Amino acid sequence: MKLEMRRKLASEPFVEKIRKVAHLIQLAKTFPRRASRPPASRTAR
Amino acid sequence: MAINEPSPNLPLADVLRAANGLVAAGLIEDWALGGALAAIYYVEPFTTYDADIFFIPKDRGLTAGIPQIYAHLQAQGWQVEHEHLVIRGFPVQFLAATGLTEEAVREAERIEYEGVPAKVFRAEHIVAIAASVGRAKDKARIEQMLQQADLDKMRLEKILQRHNIKMP
Repeated sequence: MKLEMRRKLASEPFVEKIRKVAHLIQLAKTFPRRASRPPASRTAR
Repeated sequence: MAINEPSPNLPLADVLRAANGLVAAGLIEDWALGGALAAIYYVEPFTTYDADIFFIPKDRGLTAGIPQIYAHLQAQGWQVEHEHLVIRGFPVQFLAATGLTEEAVREAERIEYEGVPAKVFRAEHIVAIAASVGRAKDKARIEQMLQQADLDKMRLEKILQRHNIKMP
């Protein structure tokens, strides 16, 4: 995200930012990060 | 809504009201919001899973009155999960302030959140505390604060000098 956009978000009212934090928490619960899988092992043939 | 009914909203007003209640009950001298939620007061919103309430204890003993704080809030329906007290599914840490964090509480900015009077750490104290802790996430917070918050550089410099803290 561009710095200008981030500064715009930073300048929003605290109540609005907290509402967005709650939304981010909900999203994180709905779409939890999956642990990255180790690369498939290569076997010599 | 019952005090521990999970809420899709972040129950920050309830947390701040409860902290004011601890002052009214004579359990703590003063308090302020610190940690990630205090940083969010100054920067873009980001995901955080708890609230940090720093308090100046009335009881200067070893426990800092924490057992009484827990008992008071549990009597109001808060639940205990590990090191957190939980309200409406949202964990809150009550941390006894000393040194730099005590100064941060005393000099915190007065705000009103959804009609609840509250105090939030000043941006300069958030940066100084992050510099004193120095983990990777603290360094990221400093960078974010420097980019987005309207910092008083003189005030920050004085805090850093007073507490002998070096910026990473």
